[in-house]
Amino acid sequence: MNKTITNLLTSAIVLALIAPPAFSAEGSILIKNGTILTVTKGVMVKGDILVINGVIKQIGENIPAPEGIKVIDASGKYVIPGLIDSHTHIALAGTNEGSEAITPEADVGEVVNADDVSILTALSGGVTMVHTMHGSSNPIGGPNVVLKMKWGKPSEELIVHEALRTLKFALGENVKQSSRTITVGGPPPRYPQTRMGTNAIIRREMLKARVYMEEWDRYNKLKASKTPPKNLLPPRKDLRMEVLSDLLRGKIVARCHDYQATEALEFMGLAKEFGFKVQALEHTWEAYKIADELAAAKVGISVFADSWAYKMEAAEGIAYDAGYCAKKGVLVSINSDSGERIRRLFNEAGKSMKYGGLTENEALSLITINPAIQLGVEKIVGSLEVGKQGDIAIFNEHPMSAYTRCEMTIIEGDIYFDRAEYLKDREEADKKAQAPKKGGRP
Amino acid sequence: MTKRMFLVCVIMGLTAGWISAQAQPAKVIAIRGAKIIPVVGDDIEGGTIIIKDGKIEAVGKDVAIPSGAEVVEAKGLCAYPGMIDGYSFLGLQEISGVSATVDNRETGRINPQVRAIEALRYDSMHIPIARSNGITAALVAPTGGLISGQSTLIKLDGWTNREMVIKSQAAMQIEFPGIRGGRGGFGGMGRGGAVTADATRLIAELKELFKNARYYQKRKEFAAKNPAAAQPEFQETLEFILPVVRGELTVMISVHSDQDIKAAIQFVKDESLKAVFFGVEQGWKVADDLKKSNIPVIISSLYDMPPVWDDGYDSLFRNPGVLNKAGVKIAFSSVSASVAKDLPYHAAKAAAFGLDKKEALKAVTIYPAEIFGVDKIMGSLEKGKTANIVLSDGDILETRTNIKKVYIDGQETDMSNRYLELLEKFKKRG
Amino acid sequence: MSISKRSCLFGLVFLILAVSGPASADVGPTYAIKNAKIVPVTGPAIDKGVLIIRNGLIEAIGPVDKVTIPEDAEVIEAEGLIAYPGLISAHTNLLLEAPRAETSQGSPEFIAPAAAPQDRPSETPELCAFKLLKPTKAAIDSFLKIGVTTVLVAPNRGIIQGQSVLLNLNGEKAEPMVLKNPVALHINFTSARGTYPSSLMGTIAFLRQSFLDADYYAACQAQYQKVLKGMKRPEYDPFLEALVPYVKEKKPVIFQCNNLEDIKRALKIIDEFKLNALISHANEAWRDAAVLKKTPIPLLVTLDFRPPNSSRYVNQGEDLRKKAEAEIYPANAANLAKEGIKFALTTFGLNDGAAVLKNIQAAIKAGLSKEEALKALTIQPAQYLGLVQQLGSLEPGKIANVILTKGELFDEKTRVDKVFVDGVLWKF
Repeated sequence: MNKTITNLLTSAIVLALIAPPAFSAEGSILIKNGTILTVTKGVMVKGDILVINGVIKQIGENIPAPEGIKVIDASGKYVIPGLIDSHTHIALAGTNEGSEAITPEADVGEVVNADDVSILTALSGGVTMVHTMHGSSNPIGGPNVVLKMKWGKPSEELIVHEALRTLKFALGENVKQSSRTITVGGPPPRYPQTRMGTNAIIRREMLKARVYMEEWDRYNKLKASKTPPKNLLPPRKDLRMEVLSDLLRGKIVARCHDYQATEALEFMGLAKEFGFKVQALEHTWEAYKIADELAAAKVGISVFADSWAYKMEAAEGIAYDAGYCAKKGVLVSINSDSGERIRRLFNEAGKSMKYGGLTENEALSLITINPAIQLGVEKIVGSLEVGKQGDIAIFNEHPMSAYTRCEMTIIEGDIYFDRAEYLKDREEADKKAQAPKKGGRP
Repeated sequence: MTKRMFLVCVIMGLTAGWISAQAQPAKVIAIRGAKIIPVVGDDIEGGTIIIKDGKIEAVGKDVAIPSGAEVVEAKGLCAYPGMIDGYSFLGLQEISGVSATVDNRETGRINPQVRAIEALRYDSMHIPIARSNGITAALVAPTGGLISGQSTLIKLDGWTNREMVIKSQAAMQIEFPGIRGGRGGFGGMGRGGAVTADATRLIAELKELFKNARYYQKRKEFAAKNPAAAQPEFQETLEFILPVVRGELTVMISVHSDQDIKAAIQFVKDESLKAVFFGVEQGWKVADDLKKSNIPVIISSLYDMPPVWDDGYDSLFRNPGVLNKAGVKIAFSSVSASVAKDLPYHAAKAAAFGLDKKEALKAVTIYPAEIFGVDKIMGSLEKGKTANIVLSDGDILETRTNIKKVYIDGQETDMSNRYLELLEKFKKRG
Repeated sequence: MSISKRSCLFGLVFLILAVSGPASADVGPTYAIKNAKIVPVTGPAIDKGVLIIRNGLIEAIGPVDKVTIPEDAEVIEAEGLIAYPGLISAHTNLLLEAPRAETSQGSPEFIAPAAAPQDRPSETPELCAFKLLKPTKAAIDSFLKIGVTTVLVAPNRGIIQGQSVLLNLNGEKAEPMVLKNPVALHINFTSARGTYPSSLMGTIAFLRQSFLDADYYAACQAQYQKVLKGMKRPEYDPFLEALVPYVKEKKPVIFQCNNLEDIKRALKIIDEFKLNALISHANEAWRDAAVLKKTPIPLLVTLDFRPPNSSRYVNQGEDLRKKAEAEIYPANAANLAKEGIKFALTTFGLNDGAAVLKNIQAAIKAGLSKEEALKALTIQPAQYLGLVQQLGSLEPGKIANVILTKGELFDEKTRVDKVFVDGVLWKF
């Protein structure tokens, strides 16, 4: 027994010495004979995808399998880019710094929780990447973070550093605390309580940040001068202002929660006034009312498919919002904003075909390449192209069909969700549960 | 562009059609050339449906079109029976977060006296949206408390609430402890699994109520026979429970965990009730018990997390398939007003996880009709049934499918809705 | 202590003073523990030995035939008993006054929300645990019964919670118990609803801003002291004043890390501000082994095995949660030991001695050797707390915290027979 093992080991070592693999077993996979929906480069009806060391090496027909690589048979199935959710709050220890109106120092990137089981539910729906965001309780919330759904890996390995740095803003009912009842003797209402005040407080903070930046500029100049003044002290470093300074310097882009057309337009106005970039607007139920303005300003939207009418400002949120805006040239993504909806993000995107008349590929773009662009990661993910990261989902039917089901989710060549495996485990567990226990209580 | 024009035409045409239809109800309509999916019976390629007096006069491949009939060319379209939502808040809830527009939850725990039909907002903006997605009837239910009130079965068309009635008092809604956890989280059953202690207590409370109601009935009968005897003191709660204990009114019991389902089955048996279950998220664990009980099940919205992690990520998705295979009669529901239109997608989701596609379709048409006791008049395309017909350009459960026409009681309905109104309004910006 | 006893002691004091010159006013008796097996922790065990306690200190240790028993010693026959150093718990919230209800001044107004992180509502770095001490015999008995003679007591409210005190559990009066005060500044990654910060991310920002501000405050003050004339004096700030010794003078800061992420969060801040820090709680430390291996930062690992709410082991079904508490978390220490990571064990989160002992046994069952457990409760914490000269082992000159057990320490049937704290035999 021992001998055979030793023999096996030796032969394995010898083999390894003779033919050292050009790739590591981790991060390498060959998916064969699937219908490949690349999103950006068309559809290949029966094709293979080869991922080596986390990166897509080849897409084509009959790719020979490198020796020792994991091979997945995707016959009759659809192979698509891993889905990207442009707006979630999963995998965090806490979502809102709700105490104050202005909290750009409260960075969700500091509180990533890789143990959140929502990562598993995301994976079960083919989602490989999420933009996980500060909540919407503050006009200026905090920085957000982009994560890959690498369940089981330490939190720092989930963070996608290539992504744009984004800062969460919020407008409307949430920040003006419409649903909060003010009681006698209770906490006093927080400023702002109106949409006017919301814009005013954002403007105030931008003006403050300008002064702060000037103060530091002046100090740095004095310090660098030939005869710096005696006893020169630097200004106080203020983390709140540091983040806003980065926004004004263009190092961070804005993502703003808003519902109504006026809010959206006025926020875009603020951005123009202070010269910061709005990468995308969140929810924006009334985007269809200002689609031309959004398209002209190159401001994207990240919206629900149709979950509307849950509050006053969502009363005119029509299911055509996404599709109509996409046709108008707005960069649109469909988001889940939920640890539950995230597992049927593809169903939500599919609705834009009925409401808005998008094609299959356009609809699929709403949860792949479009969010990738919004997050600034379109060079590495969002479509199936050679050189991009091997983030792939496999579905049994077309992902835009209501009858479809995610079969497998792969990130950088590693399988993170495998329904067949899951069913096997469940079957075994069921068998175990049904087997009569020996010596146990009846 | 042409599509847009088409829509505008349809909307305008339908509005006109509606008014004229009102004026001449005895019109004959012939839908010709459609692929007919009658649900009961085989599909018919290139078939014809004749509508007369609001009813289906004939369905078939070679059906003669009566002279003078309005002919609807439906080549390339599919004809389905209208779908039935097994549990919704249509007409009781406009903007769920604005209490002024919400009428589906009365205060207090025991409210058998309240009736959904009496609050139904006939012109809710959500009704035309659901209707134009092929849903022609829905149960509208009050919720909350232990006895939530009386639900109503409506058709999704009418100028007043009463015009919409199919069954004004459809069921008495009873709720066991919920597991609906809301967005994102696992349900309220807690880590330990089923909440049984609470259900036991609630069942005891219900039994006591029912006992009292029966006694109340006896005393009323006695007083009626004996003019000398005193009438029992009027008790509102018992008064409105009477139809239930007399077996005249169905109870719809909202029940979720396996243990609670078992307890509820026993309760229904003990009290000899006419019952339907709603929710039944852990039904797959007790499918055989459910089958034996013969109690049909309205599946709750599938847009939720499993009640407990151990059930598996797909437990809500596969539950309908398991129940159906075990022989339990199931129907789907939206549990919503604003996205009641999604009813077909719940069915499709279940089909993606093991439910037979044909059964999925039945579970939004003929099965709910049977469960609500209206299968004689609706739920399938059969001669003699009410002409609730949906014309679509594809599989009615598919998200991408467009619904072209919806007939209720043989009348073509207005396909316009809040979505389209707003869209058209802002399209005018250019 | 009764008066008659006290006068008795005074007699003794005179005697010793004559011999050894000035010493503390209250001097304990002299004991000779005879025929015990002695486990000094830092050296090899002595099978049959004598341990002399005098004046609160260990005077001598050795085999029976090598140590002369002094004439004034009360001989304690300890045949069949084992002598160990008293155990040290390097992080507890024991003996603290129950938190007072906030007394509202005048009208029940709410504290207005802070306008900026520097407003620091209800944070108390200046608070000393010493001032909150309210020792009770029951609490002390509970820990002495399992052999714990020394505890670090830290305040337990808020984020920047205040400063801890190290105590020998020698009585019910606070002052004689103190070994060191203050010991460290205590920080917890927590938040409170309503006031800033109300979230973990807010807490982290708040900590950073506080350290930055303390640093800036110190710089301004230093500048002012340098020039005095011609500079407006910086405004006095008790909050920052209390932080300065920890930020500038590198006095120890103890971070309470409630899950694996907290450890990484703490390490980041420690590195950024070059703090002299220790990491406490750390009941998911094994999951951070890769990171912890690379840092010399001392670990104070709790014996509390309740998994944090954020844990993947509690959110995937009841079976796994039960297993986590019974098997996975108790193996924390064993896993660290396997990785060669040093640590001290603490009783943090446990207020009952019996529960502590049960959990030590569980840790041992999960693979921690008894020797490692003993070191982690004696010499290791003594080192971490900077008291290795005085505590943590049985060596001549060290404080006489000695326990005598019937059976090997931590064994299920073992009972602690006698406890000497500061050289005095404790009466349960």
